[in-house]
Amino acid sequence: MPNMEFQLGLALPTPSIIKGFDLNNLGLDHPKDMCGLEARNKPPRCFGDKSKRSFEQAFGNFEAECKTKTLLLLWSGQPNEEEDHNDQKKRTFSTIDDRNDAEEVDQVVGWPPIKTWRKKIFQQQQHRVGRIGNNRVADKENGSRSIYVKVKMEGVAITRKVDIRLYHSYQTLTNSLITLFAKDKKCADDDYTRYILTYQDKEGDWLIAGDIPWQSFIRSVQRLKIVRNWG
Amino acid sequence: MESSELKRSKDSVNSCESARRSSFPDEVLERVLSLLKSHRDRSSVSLVCKDWYNAERWSRTHVFIGNCYSVSPEIVARRFPRIRSVTLKGKPRFSDFNLVPENWGADIHAWLVVFAAEYPFLEELRLKRMAISDESLEFLAVSFPNFKALSLLSCDGFSTNGLAAIATHCKNLTELDIQENGIDDIGGSWLSCFPESFTTLEVLNFANLTSDINFDALEKLVGRCKSMRVLKLNRSVSLEQLQRLLVNAPQLAELGTGLFSQELTIREYEELESALSNCKNMHTLSGLWDATGIYLPALYLACTHLTFLNLSYAALQSVELAKLLAHCPQLKRLWVLDTVEDKGLEAVGLNCPLLEELRVFPADPFDDEIVHGVTEAGFVAVSFGCPRLHYVLYFCRQMTNAAVATIVQNCPDFTHFRLCIMNPGQPDYLTNEPMDEAFGAVVRTCTKLQRLSVSGLLTDLTFEYIGRYAKNLETLSVAFAGRSDWGMQCVLGGCPKLRKLEIRDCPFGNAALLSGLEKYESMRSLWMSACNVTMNGCRLLAREMPWLNVEVMKEDGSDDSQADKVYVYRSIAGPRRDAPPSVLTL
Repeated sequence: MPNMEFQLGLALPTPSIIKGFDLNNLGLDHPKDMCGLEARNKPPRCFGDKSKRSFEQAFGNFEAECKTKTLLLLWSGQPNEEEDHNDQKKRTFSTIDDRNDAEEVDQVVGWPPIKTWRKKIFQQQQHRVGRIGNNRVADKENGSRSIYVKVKMEGVAITRKVDIRLYHSYQTLTNSLITLFAKDKKCADDDYTRYILTYQDKEGDWLIAGDIPWQSFIRSVQRLKIVRNWG
Repeated sequence: MESSELKRSKDSVNSCESARRSSFPDEVLERVLSLLKSHRDRSSVSLVCKDWYNAERWSRTHVFIGNCYSVSPEIVARRFPRIRSVTLKGKPRFSDFNLVPENWGADIHAWLVVFAAEYPFLEELRLKRMAISDESLEFLAVSFPNFKALSLLSCDGFSTNGLAAIATHCKNLTELDIQENGIDDIGGSWLSCFPESFTTLEVLNFANLTSDINFDALEKLVGRCKSMRVLKLNRSVSLEQLQRLLVNAPQLAELGTGLFSQELTIREYEELESALSNCKNMHTLSGLWDATGIYLPALYLACTHLTFLNLSYAALQSVELAKLLAHCPQLKRLWVLDTVEDKGLEAVGLNCPLLEELRVFPADPFDDEIVHGVTEAGFVAVSFGCPRLHYVLYFCRQMTNAAVATIVQNCPDFTHFRLCIMNPGQPDYLTNEPMDEAFGAVVRTCTKLQRLSVSGLLTDLTFEYIGRYAKNLETLSVAFAGRSDWGMQCVLGGCPKLRKLEIRDCPFGNAALLSGLEKYESMRSLWMSACNVTMNGCRLLAREMPWLNVEVMKEDGSDDSQADKVYVYRSIAGPRRDAPPSVLTL
């Protein structure tokens, strides 16, 4: 296998060649067996950010996460799919103001505290980029454009989006996903739940991520899905 | 003049009067006091004795009213007979973030009616967060023949038709400054309403508007207004048009460009660069909509004396910013989007040693899944390179206590520290602790601190620190913070200079609200929304403090006993009579 270290699997379903790491048990047992250990030891290299939380910090403090979970969920201001409204305790937050743009759904009204006219500018800019994105000669100095793909994690209501262009390897992508979904992981989940990262390619097929070189992957990936592995 | 002399001799004998009369004629006193500009100095002066009170009120030409409901226009007119310039602020600040119902009030019209009668020679009107209709603008335009300056900031209720009325009728206009308003932009024809004979405009800011304006009319206007020093265009003005304007207005001190993205030939680019560099007086630059690395170099030569650069409409990358800043050694104020990231802020630290103010806005505030923007590292980098930094507004997605401690150690002179960790209640991401120690460090180290906005996971300890150390704090903004009433009590019990306190989504209840009874009379206002305050608590407050207006805004479908949004302010005008049904005055 060319890139052993990129065998994510995010799981140890069977005693198979694919070694990966378990979102729950990383750092607790047999660290040497887990290729994904690098997530813990080495700071992720995506976009120059040197100090992302380590895995333990992302998952370690479950109680603290539980307390702030409601607030965190409430804050994500995207028109996300399949939102679980039962999770959101609306009582402490103001109801959505009618003046809000229909496209922008603020679960928390007026947060972050940015003036309405400035929000409109951002929205207009994003529409503009989206519309003429394919024709622009160079969006950024290095000529690369953002590639946003949706990421769904089984058992989590909210679908997220990541810019694949921000990462340069499966490792960095996975690290980021762990941090992202650490917020959403329900505290009641079984400790031994294991996950696999899968993706949908251009032909519409769902494959396990990690088999093809990274550069091919980013050209092919349409959507991501983190699924439970019951193996 | 005679009646005023009579008035003064009728004033009751005051201990200072006889001594004063022998050495200090009234006319001289008035003349001296007329030189006082600061409204706070004037307030102090008016309290000295009755004669000084009168001398001050007769010599005052500008009045600043921080809360339009704290006083009535009749009272103002009675006290100050010679006003030429008025600054009025209306809605609570949280109306900027849609927290105040749309028809809340702060309508300017009643004021204009009184001014038209009492101050026919009014020259300047500066409004912030007021509601103003087209009819009011038209009334303004025709009622004051000497009218010179109109500034509207964060106002709403009017359209470009109102601007047309101003342009048509105000023959002596020197300033038209339309910023950040909820304006109904019907079209750009208002600009063509300035008559051909009109030449006095010095300040024109229409960056807020989106419609195309008649460029021909604009070009002619700029060409004949030789005293123009501030010109801020909107997005519809192209680079090529900008060049044509600048050729006729090299005297500009403040420029807001239009769209900074267009296909230019080499010749056109050089002409633009030349026109920009010919603006030798330019100290402020803004606009730069959609600017990218390609055309920014055209600015380089123009940036030599720049002190204020507003890049908050341009999603620049770090390298682009770094290259630009290398040409801005005199920069004192910088506004950017967080697309420049920490690397861009490192460049700020390296290139701008004179920097005093930094504002970093989030380009994608509602998209927390995509991790980008600035972190604590960028802020720290700026603090090392810019020791004179005293004003910061920083939106970020992660912060640590240690970083903030380092920052204030490097920059102890902060007067305005507004930190927004965008995820509500987020702890120090390295230690997982609350951010109490960060703000503790801020208030302990920055003794000159006047304004503070806190964020992140905060316990009552933060507020203990604030109450104990923030002796000069005037404005405090709190959201999603605190554990109990004790937090708010600490602030109200400390902070001797507190004037504005705005709180949302905190677990502060009646005990906290009522602990500030005496305090509220020395403050301009208190805002509490989505806290634990009840109607009974508010009623008690209203009952105990007759000089306070206690207003409650109810949400649809909320519990009857909950006071969803509370706005408390001191007033000598009594409860207001123009409140909409959703606002209850207790």
